[in-house]
Amino acid sequence: MLRFAVRRLLLLVPILIGLSLLVFIWIRALPGSPAESLLGERATEESIAQIRDQYGLEDPFYEQYWRYVQTIGSGDLGTSIASRRPITEEIKDRFPATIELAVGAMLFATLIGIPLGFIAAKRHGSPIDHASLFLSLIGVSIPIFFLAIVLKWVFSVELGWLPSIGRQDVLIEAEHPTNFYILDGIITRNWEATWDAIKHLILPAIALGSIPLAIIARITRASVLDVQNEDYVRTARAKGISNRAVDARHVLRNAMLPISTIVGLQVGLLLSGAILTETVFAWPGIGTWLQAAIENRDYPVIQGGVLFVAIVVVFVNLLVDISYGLLNPRIRLAGR
Amino acid sequence: MSVAEIEARELKLESAGGGLWRDALYRLVRNPGAIVGFVLVAAFVFVAVFAPWLAPYHPLDQDLDAIAAGCCPGPSSEHWLGQDDLGRDEMSRLIYGARYSLLICIVAVSVGLSAGLLLGAFAGYFRRTDGLIMRVMDVMLAIPGFLMAIGIVALFGGGGLVPVMIAIGVVNIPIFTRLMRGSILAQRDNDYVLAARAVGVPSRKVLASHILPNAISPVIVAATLALATAIIDAAGLGFLGLGPQDPATPEWGTMLVGTIRYLQTAPFLAIFPGICIVIAVMGFNLIGDGLREALDPKLRGRS
Repeated sequence: MLRFAVRRLLLLVPILIGLSLLVFIWIRALPGSPAESLLGERATEESIAQIRDQYGLEDPFYEQYWRYVQTIGSGDLGTSIASRRPITEEIKDRFPATIELAVGAMLFATLIGIPLGFIAAKRHGSPIDHASLFLSLIGVSIPIFFLAIVLKWVFSVELGWLPSIGRQDVLIEAEHPTNFYILDGIITRNWEATWDAIKHLILPAIALGSIPLAIIARITRASVLDVQNEDYVRTARAKGISNRAVDARHVLRNAMLPISTIVGLQVGLLLSGAILTETVFAWPGIGTWLQAAIENRDYPVIQGGVLFVAIVVVFVNLLVDISYGLLNPRIRLAGR
Repeated sequence: MSVAEIEARELKLESAGGGLWRDALYRLVRNPGAIVGFVLVAAFVFVAVFAPWLAPYHPLDQDLDAIAAGCCPGPSSEHWLGQDDLGRDEMSRLIYGARYSLLICIVAVSVGLSAGLLLGAFAGYFRRTDGLIMRVMDVMLAIPGFLMAIGIVALFGGGGLVPVMIAIGVVNIPIFTRLMRGSILAQRDNDYVLAARAVGVPSRKVLASHILPNAISPVIVAATLALATAIIDAAGLGFLGLGPQDPATPEWGTMLVGTIRYLQTAPFLAIFPGICIVIAVMGFNLIGDGLREALDPKLRGRS
């Protein structure tokens, strides 16, 4: 198991090198030079030359790349041109918002998707089964931003039940030690703020969770159908174990393996979807931040932000791989 | 079981094994989901191709008198799906919009498919290139697809139809590369490949006429599903303002951009384009699922 984890960890090295190289080249391929975007309207030929010299933009490619890697290695992602704040500070502010949204979406998707898929498989061929298949078809066919707009229209505009933008009402006084607003509310025992943060999270989480929900329900259904016909399930039933216990201990537990992999693989998809969901609900997370940076040509933010997001995806995939090994005795014991 | 019965069964088995493609087609047309998918996609393509004849108005014709009383006039007998914030006929715009979505998804998937197949075939067949190609794909997969698409569009200095098609195509490359490589690796060591090589068939020809045809069926399924995703992603890019640069273009995603402002008075402006996207995407998804089931070798011979 340890060897497996170390091997997976070593595989990360070329990916991280490739990532930094890709982002580095991409930034230089963008139209409009960094010098011009730094100077804005005031750019003259001399000032551009001065900036190019100051930032070492005239140096050979490999020297610039090496300097770039060294800076990142020391934990410095640069400073935003728009806000003049360090990128790491901005990420500290915004990443918790995106995580909160993603966790909410994943909770929604798993808490509804797994039972739905399970019931559909148990009642294979029944109206419930067909309904769940249809629902997951809709789930993968509906654009996130469209679902977000519809939810906003129905539940905020028409019914007025839930707030439509932001993470918390501006009138609520709350402290934010962690920047996870729901967690902050609980820590500071400010129940009004907690409830308000939860209300703000519901609609975006449903919108973002729709695709994972559809995928999880489908995989659960397929995998329960598979496991149900296994010999060990029939043996357990033949022994006279109650249906409930067979379902919980034999069927669902074995069906969980493919489900857990799928859940892990959704991370990249969630971050993609977050860009659109955050835009519709004015959610101050990584997605809206990167989107604005690309629009304003805020190169340091794009460079640092994309690299950060990609590294998060790579590490989460690694964790999923390793935890999959831990969950699955067939992989865990194979190395012995 | 009598001899006659056994003979009848054997006959049936033989006729069922009438080649992968005939067999798959047979199962596809008996799948109600796939039929619905075909109908939806056929309607989508029909509307896109014959847009100028089907649309009651020109998609850019404005009728500012209509919106003088406020935005926006809902469905009426003259304008079945209402008018947008510039008094343009919503239905005509949606009909013309089908052209953009169809064009984008076909070109984007073709770009991704051809590049992906080439790279995947190389990686799978010429082992020396494998390491490099697959590491590059790993790096591309580490960046969330939609974020990468935005980044590629940015390389062109803003949005536009061509940048969107290229961006979505490039995002699809790693998917097809991996599939093709996996498929080829699975086919490579088969006896018929060995036989072809043993009689001295050059490797390029082995790849083209022996391995590719057999490795292609998972790729067909993935390509159909990729068409669905491409429509969604194109609409998403349009929604972020990265689609066709002229905001008057009736592209479905772009049409949704300003509608949030009118949710209170004219929610239909957001609902109708959204429904069009869902229908087109659902069509390709249904066909893709149907193809997956029809081409699955595990299900062959069963029907």
